[in-house]
Amino acid sequence: MIFPEGATRRTDVKAATETVYDAVVVGSGIAGSIVASELSAAGMRVLVLEAGVGADRTLDGYEQYVSRFYASAVKDNQAPYPPNPNANMPRGTDVRRIFPGEPDTSAYVVKNGPLATDTTYTRVLGGTTMHWEAKTPRMLPSDFRMRTQFGHGRDWPISYEELLPFYDAAERELGVSGDVDDQAELGVPFSERYRFPMRGIPLSYLDKTVAAGVDGLPVEFDGERHELKVRAFAQARNGVPDPEYDGGKGFQPVGAVSTSQVEEGERCQGNINCVPICPVQAKYSAGRTLAKALQTGHVDLLVQAVASRVVLDSQTGQVSGIEVKRYADPGSPRHTTFTVRGRIFVLAAGAVENPRLMLSSGLGDSSGLMGRNFMDHAYLLTWALLPQIAGTYRGTVCTGGISDLRDGAFRQKQAAFAVDIHNDGWGWATGSPYSDLMQMVDRENLFGAELRDALPERLSRQLLLAFMVDVPASESNRVSVDPALVDPLGNMRPVVSYALSDYTMRGVASARRLSERIFQRLGAADHTYYDPSDPQYTTYEGEGFVIHGGNHLAGTHVMGASAADSVVDAYQRSWDHQNLYMVGGGSMASVGTSNVTLTLAAMAMRTARHIVSQLRRHDAGPAAASLPALTH
Amino acid sequence: MSESEIETLQDLHAFLHAAMQLEHATIPPYLTALYSILPGTNSDAHHVLRVAAVEEMLHLTLVANVLNAVGGDPDLTVPGFVPSYPAYLPDGERDFKVDRQRFSLACIQNFLEIERPHEAPSQEQSVIRRKEQRGPRLGASPTAPEYQFFSIGEFYQAIGRGIQRLYSAMGDSLFAGNPNRQVTREYFFSGGGQVIPVTDVSSACRALDLIAGQGEGFGGGIYDAEGELSHYYRFQQLTLGRFYQPGDRPNEPTGPPVNVSWDASFPIKTNVTLADYPEGSELRSAAESFNRAYAEFLAFLTRAYTGEPALLAEAIGDMFRLRDLINQLIRNPIPGLPGTNAAPTFEVAALVWEGSA
Repeated sequence: MIFPEGATRRTDVKAATETVYDAVVVGSGIAGSIVASELSAAGMRVLVLEAGVGADRTLDGYEQYVSRFYASAVKDNQAPYPPNPNANMPRGTDVRRIFPGEPDTSAYVVKNGPLATDTTYTRVLGGTTMHWEAKTPRMLPSDFRMRTQFGHGRDWPISYEELLPFYDAAERELGVSGDVDDQAELGVPFSERYRFPMRGIPLSYLDKTVAAGVDGLPVEFDGERHELKVRAFAQARNGVPDPEYDGGKGFQPVGAVSTSQVEEGERCQGNINCVPICPVQAKYSAGRTLAKALQTGHVDLLVQAVASRVVLDSQTGQVSGIEVKRYADPGSPRHTTFTVRGRIFVLAAGAVENPRLMLSSGLGDSSGLMGRNFMDHAYLLTWALLPQIAGTYRGTVCTGGISDLRDGAFRQKQAAFAVDIHNDGWGWATGSPYSDLMQMVDRENLFGAELRDALPERLSRQLLLAFMVDVPASESNRVSVDPALVDPLGNMRPVVSYALSDYTMRGVASARRLSERIFQRLGAADHTYYDPSDPQYTTYEGEGFVIHGGNHLAGTHVMGASAADSVVDAYQRSWDHQNLYMVGGGSMASVGTSNVTLTLAAMAMRTARHIVSQLRRHDAGPAAASLPALTH
Repeated sequence: MSESEIETLQDLHAFLHAAMQLEHATIPPYLTALYSILPGTNSDAHHVLRVAAVEEMLHLTLVANVLNAVGGDPDLTVPGFVPSYPAYLPDGERDFKVDRQRFSLACIQNFLEIERPHEAPSQEQSVIRRKEQRGPRLGASPTAPEYQFFSIGEFYQAIGRGIQRLYSAMGDSLFAGNPNRQVTREYFFSGGGQVIPVTDVSSACRALDLIAGQGEGFGGGIYDAEGELSHYYRFQQLTLGRFYQPGDRPNEPTGPPVNVSWDASFPIKTNVTLADYPEGSELRSAAESFNRAYAEFLAFLTRAYTGEPALLAEAIGDMFRLRDLINQLIRNPIPGLPGTNAAPTFEVAALVWEGSA
């Protein structure tokens, strides 16, 4: 995929401020890139603002991120990306214990508690797809009716069926590899004779080892019997194209993005470092979609351009512009300030930055829900040592898991969960393999050939199960701002208040019980230990757990059926400001047990189509005069 | 009609076996140059070389498809399949040999010679009489060893003419091979071009055209028929310091700049052989390990090309192992030759022969 040379430099600020764009898009992550791509393909003129550092995407530049990751001692999700105080981002390593009444202000995201969370998002060109895991399960039809069906969280104003064609479109855009049966068996309806663009990524040897013990295991939840089976996950990484896709037209995988023709990344090589960064770009990142958008010639891009204020027209209540602070050097707060204008404004900066920008602009909405209903999956990790070598560390980070407990009547009483089998050993929980190396050298006095043999022997028996537990929308979990807490550019920092409900914790506790059964079936020695001094330690019914964030951020500009009870409508359009759209996970009314990216991509597709029809309808006649006239 | 024309099915098989040998013969030099690049440097050159090597694998697979379609048996384990270097390519002037050497300007100039566009003035001149020459040849005519082709492109044109001629005589019975042996798209894709299953004259010719076009360009242009930059012009980007982009004319790239550090490669010994490594040394043993692994890899590919195409996916893991073995060699100096590093020797003929005996 060719990234047009000079696209990150060619947009002249003066010219941009003198243009009224059809749409101004804040954020170059997956939601913003999809909107920019779809709008520009329809001939609309688009300006994309990216807060993070951005250079033309080249293979060499991407590989510098990979090298930085390899050289980094702490291999967290942000390790490939140099620090940037002007567009700061949270790191998993930021997390500190929060004491009552004392918010932790030590890192960019202020944590108000009561629970600390290590959740992150990435502010570079391409957004969080620059570190994501690329697992792409669809949501279940029941996830859209959480309140009606289970009495928890919120309902969506749209159904699974309404989103279905856009799931198809998103799976094409992302290049999903998968087997329809793996989801259809869970009750997810698909279009007739639907195939994914590429065949499923195969289960790892570790998955198969776990399957040998788990397949057929009966689990009874609330009187309902479920039988477990290890299944492969659909993933946005290139696999074997399915010649039957799209009615026999097949699929051409999209590989690496660069300013010159390169042939790289057209097939996943099973690299265990694929999170945060795939060394060959076989994993989708929004750079692919952004490059496509830039190729249309209708898209201007300003990087190092932080949206600092949403400006309203006091007469109409519509958005008249976005104030931007642009910095030349990430190490210096020096910046210039200007305002860009458009007919439509699309905030696509993620579920934390979107409400942060609105609230710091003084635009809490009339429903009072701006920033509320903050959701992220609650991850419980359990880990054990298998009796036999199981090939751990082979494959991508996660190829298979257990999805049978994602749905059922039990969801009235406890949160559902999906289970990931991690191919990268205990790393997430314990810091393995580095912690194993230190243990062997410092405590066990191993060295030389003995050390060399012992390390892989132990690592390749490690099994980590990650339970992704549903967190329903709750208004007390929220993103807010505090005028006293600002970043170097003077932009208010996000303040996150977060707690987990008993509903979620019941799911967590039952996940822990299930992991014990699974380890027992596998003859694996359970090494799970939740350290009470861990900042993310919490207790439920006297039992302690450490809960990690899943970086699946949602809910903060929640969509709904009425202006009184939601921030955006079913098309992600602000109820209060007719020409403002807030897209991304923030619009989701529930997260269920699906990683959010595929769903928010499908929603972005649907919204883009809506925006195009709105602009066209307006241009066709004065009937729908709710949008500013085209003046460029 | 020249003696180098294909007259019988046996001739055709012999030409196609030679074509597989020819396609493979560039892989050891390309891999050697690729892995000799100092880590963290020469990203642009790394990718140009990597793509060239991958596309040679595609060409090898395409020839195997043609050979299978006409009832032949691809075999990468026959003695002599891997040439010993330096080796001649079937170039009319015979002004160069192919070397296994470190990445350098000289190395890329050598590769430019391999891939340079050649067009013989007429069919009669496309086959030239071999004058006195020393050294192994990569493209000597299999039916008439005293002839050589003017260029790789001409060689493939001769195969195309042979297929047409035999098809006129034999009809569809020419394509009597087992269709299950065809490597189809789901088994092979990785950059640059798609594998073409061969079942008839038209698909055979498309496969042969793709090979020739990817090497030298198509119809005098810099891109092949699928819009892929041809090898010659890919390599040329390194010497001219600029990428090509669509619309460019040959020799005048106008794309983004290419950054090359010609000295940033390990100083490996050109065309190094096992005899350069002292008996009993760790290097000797590592080089032998690589040669064994490479021989096994060729045997594995032979299985993939003779009825088990799904093995090509597994072969990817083997390629990583080969890379690791090459990296071990290239990072180590040769005892007694200060400032000179080791490299894989690709001396596998004897090993394969012993292995299959």
